[in-house]
Amino acid sequence: MHFLRFSVRQSLQGLWRNRVMNIAATVTMVLMLLMLAALVIVISGVEAGLSYVESKVEVRAELHDGLLEERVLEFQERLSGLPEVSSVNYVSKEQALANFSQSRVDQGQEDITGLYTEFNPFFAYVAIELRDPRQSRELISTLEAETGLVRTVLGQQSGIDKLVGLTSQLRNLGVVVLGFAGLTVLLIVINSIRMALMARAQEIEIMRLVGASDRYVRWPFILEGVFIGLVGAVITLLLLLVASPPISDLASDIAGSVPLGFDRSLTLQIMGIVIGAGLGLGGVGAWISVRTYLR
Amino acid sequence: MRLEGVTKTYPNGKQALIDVDLIIPEGDFLFLVGPSGAGKSTLIKLLVRDETASEGRVEVAGHDLGHMKKRAVPLLRRRIGIVFQDFRLLPRKTVYENVAFALEVTGTPRKLMVPAVERALALVGLTEQARQRPDQLSGGEQQRTAIARAMVHDPRLIIADEPTGNLDPLISWEIIQLLLRINEMGTTVMMATHDAEVVTALRRRVVGLEDGRVVRDEVGGYHREY
Repeated sequence: MHFLRFSVRQSLQGLWRNRVMNIAATVTMVLMLLMLAALVIVISGVEAGLSYVESKVEVRAELHDGLLEERVLEFQERLSGLPEVSSVNYVSKEQALANFSQSRVDQGQEDITGLYTEFNPFFAYVAIELRDPRQSRELISTLEAETGLVRTVLGQQSGIDKLVGLTSQLRNLGVVVLGFAGLTVLLIVINSIRMALMARAQEIEIMRLVGASDRYVRWPFILEGVFIGLVGAVITLLLLLVASPPISDLASDIAGSVPLGFDRSLTLQIMGIVIGAGLGLGGVGAWISVRTYLR
Repeated sequence: MRLEGVTKTYPNGKQALIDVDLIIPEGDFLFLVGPSGAGKSTLIKLLVRDETASEGRVEVAGHDLGHMKKRAVPLLRRRIGIVFQDFRLLPRKTVYENVAFALEVTGTPRKLMVPAVERALALVGLTEQARQRPDQLSGGEQQRTAIARAMVHDPRLIIADEPTGNLDPLISWEIIQLLLRINEMGTTVMMATHDAEVVTALRRRVVGLEDGRVVRDEVGGYHREY
């Protein structure tokens, strides 16, 4: 208790005496933590979008014209039996044409149903939804093997692959940028604590001479680093609190029906990451400084 | 305190002490004399385990400092009070706080701290000045504050490194008297000094160092042969 009180008092005193450097350290800390939070938000947004898109993915197998009904039914049953398939839906030639016409009308274009009374260019198809959209490739090859029934297979695998690739690239880029930002913050904390150590060189010397144990000498400085991290994290969270409603609005404007925004778990996740990173960088930076400059 | 065949070689190759043997019994009062660079400071550093001997054995209060664990060093230093020529007081703290600091940083509970500080201040005669800062004090008073800080742990040994080096003769005598009184109370005192007058007048044990070797160890005066 005595030790804790002593360390806290010494470190607060140190923060005040060396305030310019410490403010600089805190500001860089805030900038870096904001970047970190932004990256988490963007990645979780893209991932939410991705899983939304994936959930909408279906594979269509267009069927040859003039197949017997029982063959189609048997095919449908076989597909339903596959473990990766969640639903199978049959759409007839007529229904396909009607759907197409309706979608044109919905988009405000001319109704062309009349043009195709003689000849229907559409094919009947089965629309298959998957439990895990990433398995669509296997399904597509299964379907393509059914040459007697299936004319062509329409999948959206390439689009999904692109999105997944983009997310992981974004994540990699973010990690690299954050790595540099984190390193900068770490160096600034190290320097800040080094200045504090230098400012207190005489005090440290006296402490050692009168027999202070190492924890009394070191912990005030480590706490200084932790305080810088904590204050940085709190400021970052306050800024995010102020900024989150507009960001949320912006996100839903861009994404439309995709469910984005600050739900409870994302908020808690960001709080945890920001506070953890702040305390961690502050503490580790100070610890390195103390280890390096106090022999 | 016992030194046996102690040699200290610094990493740059300089030999600060060469084969030093020295026994200081408890309750002794000893002057350590010699020109600058003779090894006085190194000897003091060895005794408080700021440095370790390259060869030989340094023993303080029964502990072999060469084999002392790092963690045990603070405990050793609480049993040794050190006083320097430049006082080494903290300028932002009052006399009282400077003395109390030594207890505070060693985790002494507050209720034990207050009487110990008051006792130490009474010993050096600074009870009245307790609330003043070092810059409001004379040199002698500053050195007495430093002595109070050295004494507040009730050490068995006081090491004073040129404690009168920055003080005029009259004030120097006050400080010496104070150290003598501390010695009479049972604390071993070792004082490194250049002050020939003091050493000669007191006729105490004198250990002379020169070029890292003990050149004399006797009771008596101070011959300025350096």
